[in-house]
Amino acid sequence: MTELGLVAVQTRFQLTSITRNRRAVALSLVFPIVLLVMFNSIFVSASDSVELAGAKVTAHAYFTGAMLAYAIVLSGFSQLTIGLVNQRESGQLKRLRGTPVPAWTFIVATVLRAVVTVGLMAVVLLAIGRVAYNVSISVEALGEILLYVVLGTATMCSLGVAATAIAADVDSASAALPLVAVLLALISGIFVPVDQLPGWLQEIGRIFPVYHLTAGLQTALGTVGDTALDPGNVAVLCVWTLWGIVFAARRFRWEPTRAVGA
Amino acid sequence: MPPAGDGAAISVRELRMSYGSTAAVRGISFEVATGKVFGLLGPNGAGKTTTIEILEGYRQRTAGEVAVLGADPGRPTRRWRERIGMVLQECQLDPNLTVRETVTLFARFYPHPRPVDETIELAGLHDKRNARLGTLSGGERRRADVAIGIVGDPELLFLDEPTTGFDPSARREAWSTIEGLRALGKTILLTTHYMDEAQRLADRVAILRAGELVATGTVEEIARGIGAGVIVRFRLPAGVSVQTIASETQSRIETVGDMATIRAADAQPVLYRLTAWAQREGRTLERLEAVRPRLEDMFVDLTTGAASPPLAAVSDAQEAPRD
Repeated sequence: MTELGLVAVQTRFQLTSITRNRRAVALSLVFPIVLLVMFNSIFVSASDSVELAGAKVTAHAYFTGAMLAYAIVLSGFSQLTIGLVNQRESGQLKRLRGTPVPAWTFIVATVLRAVVTVGLMAVVLLAIGRVAYNVSISVEALGEILLYVVLGTATMCSLGVAATAIAADVDSASAALPLVAVLLALISGIFVPVDQLPGWLQEIGRIFPVYHLTAGLQTALGTVGDTALDPGNVAVLCVWTLWGIVFAARRFRWEPTRAVGA
Repeated sequence: MPPAGDGAAISVRELRMSYGSTAAVRGISFEVATGKVFGLLGPNGAGKTTTIEILEGYRQRTAGEVAVLGADPGRPTRRWRERIGMVLQECQLDPNLTVRETVTLFARFYPHPRPVDETIELAGLHDKRNARLGTLSGGERRRADVAIGIVGDPELLFLDEPTTGFDPSARREAWSTIEGLRALGKTILLTTHYMDEAQRLADRVAILRAGELVATGTVEEIARGIGAGVIVRFRLPAGVSVQTIASETQSRIETVGDMATIRAADAQPVLYRLTAWAQREGRTLERLEAVRPRLEDMFVDLTTGAASPPLAAVSDAQEAPRD
C-alpha cells in the first residue's frame, strides 16, 4: 500500500471515530456554532460596529470571524491535543508504532482530520453569518479567509502536536486545553473586542498566534473592498507554526507517560 | 561469538537492560527455533516485558547480541515490522471503531494481510464483528488485540501475557486460538506467569527470575532438573525403618506420620527398586502411588529461589537428564 493510501485510510477511520466521540463533537463542532449564535444574538445588534486596525467592521462580521478563529483553535489545537494524549496514554500510539505503518502518515492523517473538521466548520459558520446575520462575503475576502483558515489550522495543529509533549495525562489535557483556548480567546479579540482590553493585555495577546488569526479573519470578513493582507499576522502565524513543528519533532512521545516497568 | 543458528527465529546472547542504575535484565541468552512456541515465564517484575519489548523493537538494549528474523530489533525497519505481529500487555484500541473497522484498518498496514473476516473468526470475535471496541468485555478486547496482531500474517508473533485477567473458560478459548496459530506454522514468543499455560502451549520455556534465566528447556526437562520429576508415596510397612528403604531405593525419604515420600527425577528406577524390595521381603506397600508434582508449585519454587537453579543441567536440551 502506498504512503498516500495509508494516509487516506487512517484519515478515514479517524474521521469515523471522531464523529462517534460525543465529547469531541460537542467541543469542536457544536460549541462554536452555539457561541456564534449567542454572541450575535445577545450581545450585539446589526447596527453595532467594532474598531479594528483603524477600520470599522460590523459587529456581526466581527463575531463571525471570531468564532471561525475559535473553531480553528478548538479543532486544531484543543481537540487534537486531547485526542493525541488519549491515544498515547491508552497505548494506541505505542501499538501503532509496532506496525509497519510510517509514523508520519499517522501524524498527517491526524492533521487532515482536523483540516476536514475545520473546513466543515468554516462552511457552516460562514453560512450562518451570511444568512442569519447578513455578513457580506466578497470573492476577494474569500481568498483571504481561505488563507487564514489554512494557515491558522496549520499553526494550531503544529502547536497541538507539540502540546502533547507537555500534557502528562488525559485528565490534565482535558482540563487544561479548553481552558487555554478560553484564555487565549479572551485576550485575542474572540469574546471581547481587543480595543476594549487594557493596553498591557493587548500586548500579551499580540504575542500569541490566536490574536493574529482572529484579527486576520475579522479584517477579511469585515472590511468590504479593502483586502489588504496584514503581513504581520501572516508572519506571526508562520513563526509559531515552525516553532511548533520543531518542538514536536524533538519532544513528541509515542509511549504512555507512566513508565512501563520491567 | 558465533552467529545465530539457521533455524532460529530469535537469538539472544548475553542481553542486558538497565533503567538508570536498575538492572532489569542481567545477561540472558536463549534461542527460539522457527515454527516453535517459546514461553518466557516469570513473576511480575522478572524482566519478561522488558525482554519482549527489546525483541519487538520498542526498547534499546544496554548490551548483548540480539537477532530477530535475522535483523537487529534495535534498528527496526518497515520490512522487518511487516513480518512481525504482536499482542502488547497493556494496549487499547480506538474504542469508537468496530472490530471489523479496526481489523480492516490494521490489515491495510501490511503487504499481504490475512482476510479480515477470517482473522476475526480465528480470534473468536465473529459475533462481535460489528460491535465497537469500547463495548467489548476485557476478554473480547484481548481477542481484538490478537486479531490485529495476526492480521498482517506475521512469521513471528509476540504475545505478552495474552491471558492475564481471563477467567478459566476465556483462558481455554485463548489457548485454542494460540494452538490454531501454531498449527499455521507461526513462531510464537509468549510471556506468561502461568505455568500451566506454558506447559500447554510452549515447546520450550525459559524461566526468568530478577532479570536472570534460572532454567531453559522443555517443562519436563526443567522438572527433572530441579529434582521434582515425580513424587512416590506409600505407607511405611510396619517394623521397617526409614533407613532400610532409603538404602534399598538409594533415595532420600521424607515421612509424615507413617506415610513416606520420595522425590525423584524419574519414577521408574525408584519404583523398580522399591517394589523389587517389597516382593523379595514379601511386604505390601499400601497406598502406593507415583504422582507428578503440581507444576505451579515447582514454578513458585524456582521463581522464589526455593529450588537451586539447575541452569547448567537443563540449558542444553541434548544433555542426558540427571538421574
